[in-house]
Amino acid sequence: MIRSFRFTSLLSAAKPLRSFACSSSPAIEPPQCSSSSSISLRITHPKTPLFLRAPSHAAPLSEVWKWHGWAKDLASSVDDNSSPEDEDSLDSILLLRELKWLIEDSIEASDHHHPVIITGTETPRGDDGEKKSVKLRASLEELYDLWRQRIEKRRPFQYVVGCEHWRDLVLCVEEGVLIPRPETELVVDMVEEVVRGDEWFKRGVWADLGTGSGAIAIGVARVLGGCGRVIATDLSHVAIAVAGNNVRRYGLEGMVEVREGSWFEPLKDVEGKLVGLVSNPPYIPSDDIPGLQAEVGRHEPRLALDGGVDGTDSLLHLCDGASRMLTSGGFFAFETNGEKQSKMIVDYMTSNLKDSFSGVKIVSDFAGIGRFVTGFRL
Amino acid sequence: MAIMAVAALFHASRFPLIARRTFPSSVSYCPLTLLSNGFTYRLQSIICFSSSDGGGVSESDMVVTEAQGPNFLKYSDEELMKQCKFETFRVSGPGGQHRNKRDSAVRLKHLPTGIVSQAVEDRSQHKNRASALNRLRTLLAIKVRNKVDIEGYSPPPELLQILPPKSTVRSSSSGSQIGPNNPKFVPGMQALLDVISASDGSIADSAKLLGLSTGGLSRLILSHDGLRMAVNSMRAAKGMKPLK
Repeated sequence: MIRSFRFTSLLSAAKPLRSFACSSSPAIEPPQCSSSSSISLRITHPKTPLFLRAPSHAAPLSEVWKWHGWAKDLASSVDDNSSPEDEDSLDSILLLRELKWLIEDSIEASDHHHPVIITGTETPRGDDGEKKSVKLRASLEELYDLWRQRIEKRRPFQYVVGCEHWRDLVLCVEEGVLIPRPETELVVDMVEEVVRGDEWFKRGVWADLGTGSGAIAIGVARVLGGCGRVIATDLSHVAIAVAGNNVRRYGLEGMVEVREGSWFEPLKDVEGKLVGLVSNPPYIPSDDIPGLQAEVGRHEPRLALDGGVDGTDSLLHLCDGASRMLTSGGFFAFETNGEKQSKMIVDYMTSNLKDSFSGVKIVSDFAGIGRFVTGFRL
Repeated sequence: MAIMAVAALFHASRFPLIARRTFPSSVSYCPLTLLSNGFTYRLQSIICFSSSDGGGVSESDMVVTEAQGPNFLKYSDEELMKQCKFETFRVSGPGGQHRNKRDSAVRLKHLPTGIVSQAVEDRSQHKNRASALNRLRTLLAIKVRNKVDIEGYSPPPELLQILPPKSTVRSSSSGSQIGPNNPKFVPGMQALLDVISASDGSIADSAKLLGLSTGGLSRLILSHDGLRMAVNSMRAAKGMKPLK
């Protein structure tokens, strides 16, 4: 079943980023439904990240200091109960940095004070702390709760604040969508390189499959400039809602179309026409899922992580589909689990699909791990 | 103030264990940066959080490399990037979907000079990369000396741009003065350090070449922390008193 609809005013409190001109809000359209199922029941309303909430709470500065002191102590205490050799343990240095970001997102900056400066004044001067009031985007009670979730439940920081800074974007994320990884930033760089080499890529349709938060699709759309078009697909309706919201926040409704469905299913109308195809599909071998870092294994959607027995189920499906969906000369870039999987995919494409692709190669991430497979449709 | 903040930030203890294992502590890196106003703001905020780290780089750590070569500041960001080894800090484990990003720190090593620049303070790796590149430009300006001929010296346009309007070598074509928060200050700073170096650290001699009073040049030097530290380490090497 293919559904295509645009998200409009799903998030009343969402504002465009300051750096982007506020485009006039599109008219509210009812979702188009291509089948009989009642789609409106399935629309998920994305959560509002902390930094976009109104500063409707207030607390005395002294109480904010108290919370901050408690949060710092809690962050510092994690080192006592974990061994530094343990890959899955929390690290207090990183937690303190996250705490700073939590403060940036949740305390309103005043004309003279950056939020972190407000809390940075450790010693209350006289009764100043009692009198002065600080505006907050969440109640202090919620801030206590959020920080406890971060440390005790190992809830990913990005879900705690509801956003992730990725490339030059701030993307809304929530439980149910994969948090975009820094490695994946490179996919957009690769697209940028290809597009810079040949303007032809700017004029055609691109697809980002399994878009999640919409990170790659939005990154690619911005690289393409005004004339490009990107279709972002995902099987998860939470992802569809979140990606739609992120697309709208960046004013890219005219360029990025979000479609719900499995991989190529929602793309029948552009079969053989795509000039570019990018994806960060689930690629972790099923047996590795239970041993994942707590933030990932306990909180992120298995749908976005589990790539089947050897992790290549989705990747192989994408390879087969790429030969069918791409037009001659079209570019593809897929993220993989690393060296071994990248080699497997290259082998598959250069043997089973040798008549379809050229220039198939492995591209390393910044840690030097063969992370991506890229190439062109013959 | 801002400089000390970066210094604290860049102290080895700021980095998580994985990072510390990745590169030897003997690598000397210089924590100077060109600060936009927004960035200064951010750094001010970081001070509050790095106070417990102690740390910091003293002025004696500033070793000015005498190297003759191309003027690296003339390269575009992209060209400069190509001369660098770019690394992220998390190298253990499979990465990718396996990990929740815990650190977006980046490290740039400029291969021709061996100068290392890092950035850790931003939430996105992309922005840390841009910060590291900016920081590298400042480091190149400060650490790499180009030879200038004092006889018949005439300041290049990038230097004229950062001189105060009082300078007698300035003309109307030099435009208005570029301040230390402007990225264009960096090439001017490099040319200024070249002059001071060629004058053996003498502010009075350099001031003459630039059509300024000694006081006027001192004020310019003190307006940028990195510049001040570079001049003072140059003077310290010659047994001269630091500017304050």
